[in-house]
Amino acid sequence: MAVLPTSALFLTGQMKNNTEKVLAMSVRAAFCGLLLVAANVYAGEQQDSLDWLKIVAFAGHQTDYSGIFVYQYDNRVETSRITHVVEPDGEYEKLESLDGPKREIIRHHGHVWCYTNHKLEQVDGQNQQMRNRFTDLPPEQLSLLGANYQANVVGIERVAGYITQAILFQPKDSLRYAHKIWVHADSGLLLKASVLDDKNQVVEQYAFTQMQLGGKIDRSWFEQGATGGKQGTESNISPEKNKDRKQINSGWTVDALPEGFMKAMEIQRAMRGKHRPVTQLVFSDGLSAISIFIESNDEDEDDVEGISSRGAVNLYQKVIDNHLITVVGEVPPRTLMQVFYSVRYNGK
Amino acid sequence: MKQEISVLMDGELFEDEAESLLNRIERGSDVHRDWEIYHLIGDVLRQPDHIHCDLSAKVRERMRDEPTVLAPRGHAVKQKMRTFALSAAASLSAVGVVAWMSMQISPEVAPKMAMQQNAVRSVNVQIQPKANDYLMAHQEFSPSTDMNGGASYIRTVSYRPDEK
Repeated sequence: MAVLPTSALFLTGQMKNNTEKVLAMSVRAAFCGLLLVAANVYAGEQQDSLDWLKIVAFAGHQTDYSGIFVYQYDNRVETSRITHVVEPDGEYEKLESLDGPKREIIRHHGHVWCYTNHKLEQVDGQNQQMRNRFTDLPPEQLSLLGANYQANVVGIERVAGYITQAILFQPKDSLRYAHKIWVHADSGLLLKASVLDDKNQVVEQYAFTQMQLGGKIDRSWFEQGATGGKQGTESNISPEKNKDRKQINSGWTVDALPEGFMKAMEIQRAMRGKHRPVTQLVFSDGLSAISIFIESNDEDEDDVEGISSRGAVNLYQKVIDNHLITVVGEVPPRTLMQVFYSVRYNGK
Repeated sequence: MKQEISVLMDGELFEDEAESLLNRIERGSDVHRDWEIYHLIGDVLRQPDHIHCDLSAKVRERMRDEPTVLAPRGHAVKQKMRTFALSAAASLSAVGVVAWMSMQISPEVAPKMAMQQNAVRSVNVQIQPKANDYLMAHQEFSPSTDMNGGASYIRTVSYRPDEK
């Protein structure tokens, strides 16, 4: 009886010793594990956020929806209605302004029609292959985006009555804006998007105030051909499409692009009201783009010099050596200026 | 009021009335100016050798243009103690100047300055409607079209309230 307690005590003592060791080891392992997990979570979160972009782009093309959104910029607010339906022959999308003069934009099969000043005009023919850039974004472009922005899932918020996932893309330099998006958790549709400057001030913002997902959506506007849009496509756009624009190697280069901007496009295109084709170069960092338009200055546009802006989009235009050069992009003005003054002709 | 001043100048005002008027002249710049002008008129009428005119404003103006000397230049200062005292005095007067300057930036001025800074952003020139086609051509290739869908096209047709 007298021995037992001691041995028991000894036993428990050893056990205690062992447990301590095991505990220490497991703590160490857990700590290392935690570090690994933390690293994984960090990389994983970045990856998750980038995956959200793909989801958003996919959902935006595949979902029927109709809703009212506000566009807020430069101390102004505009309300618009958007209707998007997917038909066997492609997507139809109508955007109509609800305040101010009547403006309407219809997009189908890569073509854009614009209804302003009581007339409907085709303003752009878009190449079908250029669509869905996020969904077939090459992995290197996505990693580029990851290199230029720190992407984080920042929380769950309610927008237009829906539960959304908020994701923040914080730039790693001051040459681009921050982007924050709110994605409907169930459908993957974008319900709100903000562009923020380096002082965290909202530069522009889109937000749905009402959104109908699926269900019965008015299709009369394209079925009846009331706008004449579809007829327009068949009759005169298709044959002109190739003539409208072509890929070229213009010889124009930009020396001081911010890091991470890759050339997305270099084309020669026709533009409304221009007698000669315009060269357009597009560079993108995955979230924003910079377009450079170069045309010979035979329109005598010498009054256009300077910077102007609308929301997140800035525009800088100036005549240099008899060329009218226009730089447009969703980047801060200083970035635009930097790009503008490094445009040069490197061809023959 | 003007009559009162001229009565005072003629020495025909009672003592208590004169005192209150003098007080008002001291405080109110308009009354003070009247007082000065009346004296000038009187002087001119009497045709003296010298005409009194107010130099105070001009002197004040010239003094404002003068650079502020915070400490006397210590060319004659040899003793350490004196240097210390002088530098102490200088720093004291510097504190005084800073305090005086901060008083000059009164609470009413501060918001005005902030407002001016805010104004810088909204003074931005709006993109002209005739440049809309550039925006349209850009929008097509912008990743924002993929993200926001057609919603971001609203940029390309935005109007200005001053248009019809």
